[in-house]
Amino acid sequence: MPDLIAEKIEKKLGTAQILRGVSFQLQEREILALLGASGSGKTTLLRSVAGLEQPDAGKIEIRGHLVFDAASGFEIPAEQRGLGLVFQSYAIWPHRSVFENVAYGLRVRRAPEAETRQKVGAVLERLGLGQLADRYAHQLSGGQQQRVALARAMVYNPPVLLLDEPLSNLDAKLREDARAWLREIIKQTETSALYVTHDQTEALAIADRVLLLDRGLIQEEGAPEQIYGAPTNRFSAEFMGSNNRFEGKLAEVSGDRGRLQGEGWTLWGQLRANKIAGETATGLMRVERLRLSDGPGTDHLRMRLSSALYLGERWEYLFHLGDLRIRVWGEERLPEGEYWISVPATSLWIF
Amino acid sequence: MNRALRSLAVIGVALVVFGPLGLIIYQSFLSEAFFSPTAHLSLEAYRYVLADSGFHSAFGTSLLVSLGMTLISVPLGSLLAFLLARTDLPGKKWLEPWLLVPIFLSPVVLAFGYVVAVGPVGFFSLWAKAWIGRVPWNLYSLFGLVLIAGLTHVPHAFLYVSSALRSLDPAVEEAARVAGAGVWRIALTVSLPLVSPSILFSASLIFLLGFELFGLPLVLGDPAGLLVLTTYLYKLTNLLGVPSYHLMAVVALSIVALTFPLVYLQRRLLRTAGRFAVIGGKGQAFRPLPLGALRWPAVFLLLLWLAVTVLLPLVGVTLRSLVSSWGEGVNLTEVLTLDHFRELTGYPNLVRGIVNTLLIGAIGGALSVAFYAIVGLAAHRWQSRWVSFLDYLVMLPRALPGLIVGLAFLWVFLFFKPIAPLRTTLFSLWIAYTVVWLAYGLRLISASLLQVKPELEEAARVTGARQRVVYRDVTLPLIRFGLIGSWLLIFMMFVREYSTGVYLLGPGTEVIGSLIVSLWGTGAVDLISALSVIEVGLVGFILFIALRLGVRLHA
Repeated sequence: MPDLIAEKIEKKLGTAQILRGVSFQLQEREILALLGASGSGKTTLLRSVAGLEQPDAGKIEIRGHLVFDAASGFEIPAEQRGLGLVFQSYAIWPHRSVFENVAYGLRVRRAPEAETRQKVGAVLERLGLGQLADRYAHQLSGGQQQRVALARAMVYNPPVLLLDEPLSNLDAKLREDARAWLREIIKQTETSALYVTHDQTEALAIADRVLLLDRGLIQEEGAPEQIYGAPTNRFSAEFMGSNNRFEGKLAEVSGDRGRLQGEGWTLWGQLRANKIAGETATGLMRVERLRLSDGPGTDHLRMRLSSALYLGERWEYLFHLGDLRIRVWGEERLPEGEYWISVPATSLWIF
Repeated sequence: MNRALRSLAVIGVALVVFGPLGLIIYQSFLSEAFFSPTAHLSLEAYRYVLADSGFHSAFGTSLLVSLGMTLISVPLGSLLAFLLARTDLPGKKWLEPWLLVPIFLSPVVLAFGYVVAVGPVGFFSLWAKAWIGRVPWNLYSLFGLVLIAGLTHVPHAFLYVSSALRSLDPAVEEAARVAGAGVWRIALTVSLPLVSPSILFSASLIFLLGFELFGLPLVLGDPAGLLVLTTYLYKLTNLLGVPSYHLMAVVALSIVALTFPLVYLQRRLLRTAGRFAVIGGKGQAFRPLPLGALRWPAVFLLLLWLAVTVLLPLVGVTLRSLVSSWGEGVNLTEVLTLDHFRELTGYPNLVRGIVNTLLIGAIGGALSVAFYAIVGLAAHRWQSRWVSFLDYLVMLPRALPGLIVGLAFLWVFLFFKPIAPLRTTLFSLWIAYTVVWLAYGLRLISASLLQVKPELEEAARVTGARQRVVYRDVTLPLIRFGLIGSWLLIFMMFVREYSTGVYLLGPGTEVIGSLIVSLWGTGAVDLISALSVIEVGLVGFILFIALRLGVRLHA
């Protein structure tokens, strides 16, 4: 049985339609990332699951129990859904110590004092907060506050852990460490998690499955490799990664392959849209798939180097060919001139 | 629980607002006082009042006073706001609290202070006369009244303009500086125009307060025969021998007819002011604009205003309470005495008044804050049309001067027989005070509630706490300092309150403020000065504590 089922969730805030019928399931022990730009509706969706927003339509079930059904007007309030939520701002209560923040969920559940102490102690220990139990929020660093928020949300073993951009308030260096740590912790607790983020790297790294949201609709759904490596539509292809665009005309179609033709170039690629020869089309390719090549060959283009930027861990070159401008990554400074560039047909998606 | 709290709040507020107001309206359409057996529906009272030339001239005087004091206080208050909020005025840190002091002083005490300081035989008048041979000013005149009303209302303009200025992005002023503008040019062409919605708001507020003035015109206008609407209403009480409630109701309604549109206008203005305030407000440290050679004249201006508005009346009233008599040819050092304070203890009603003032301030103030907190919590994060209904309800009492609210509650207690025995207890006074300060109190509470980020409450709900538990465990603990601050401010306001108690004054409901008003009619200057000093001392003491605790003096 899935831990969470959301069916056709719709939500309007003011005049804006935030969610337009989103459905998904969260399997046992799965980490599902809701990925989207700001305004895509991901946080509203999470808050609807938590019970902090009331959707206009749809149905939500947690471990087989109905918690919301717009059709029958049924709603279980947030405090009775038993979920754990980590807020983007952490929302640590400033008037309570770390211990009391974390113990709160057990206290409202009237757990015996000894059990409360033992459970809070254990979770604080596990999250590396053992020494900080008596501190207050203002005495903690951002990373510590984030861990307190997590401890508070998981101490009473919620069936589903909800995380709203939990890492976005950390600085970049800390974020990379926290990413791996967070996945490990969630996996150890054997709970399932719904993870909202706008950062695609974070989503790919942490989640078992990613839902890509745009303007209140799910655009793409799948394992991280699938979302990044084999997108099925143009929006998700362009949303993820760093891309080159090839604007041209579809010159030839053969099965699931197509030949895209532009001014002074022609390339084979994977046809990912229902198009016939003669239509205009766009080719998309992740920047890292392009390579400098020693000489001519199939899939190779001869282009002029226009500029090169040094980015620290690599160089980024900008090449021109007529109207075509593409970016390629490499490891060294290049002298001016013309170069061969390999554009592998298996990595060029034509929409 | 939450539903119970919310219904309680809406019904409670509706009752205390509509009850008195409805009774005034009803009374205005009767031929006599409502308890008279021969009273019947009629427009007689309207005909009488609207035809009375005394009413016409009171109306005209009210209008002139309102307009005049607005024209004095708004420019001066805006200027002081700019100096304190945006420039390197020397000593501004410790000068600022003093700027707000007039708000906490009872107008009737201030007015009395002016009489004994610069009245025809005031201390300073006689000293001036000894110096140059005559008194170079006339306190009892329309000009004197307007000037004093204007000067004492400077803090109201200062408050709104300075808080708007503080949220202004300093970059807009720095841009003008870099472009070559001097500090005055920046004030007049950049800073003040940018906060014009707040200036307009404070102007409409002060214009409104002008119609509600009572203590100043009672004390300063009377000797010159000047009546404004409120003092006209007050005189009406004793004019006809029998209670002329129907006429008073009409006058009260005529004041409300003037003030209500102003309150409504302010609501609209506040919305635009809110839109402007978003300009900057990052609250980052910035370098104040240098005043240069003008800094000392600016300090002098501020100190001069303080001397005339605060020091002069307070020195006057204190001195008067310490001398056995005063007049031409009296040597100050020979008449010093503490007799007036001793004399007070001989009047049981005055002693009760002092005790009652403390009770209504401390305990009544705490109960009022609790009531405001319940209403505030009820409206807190409540998505409903009832919230705007509540908003309008709260707005209504702002259009009602304390004098009228007190009168209306007197009628309520006379009209509804079951609660009649409460009229002679402090409860009658407390409920009237609570209604008069309803909007102010709620503003204090909601300012605190606004500081509570919604996630802090949501976190508790998701963790499993019911709404009532969320209030208990998160919301209330987080605003506890705000509640203490609100209590201290309400305490001061209740201690300085005078007009609301005027009609409710009786054995058991005496408070210092209303006692002063009634003693003023008998000319008991010695007792008034002693009572005034006690009241000022009380307020000063609470103000001192509030400042020590770091309470923000405005909402």
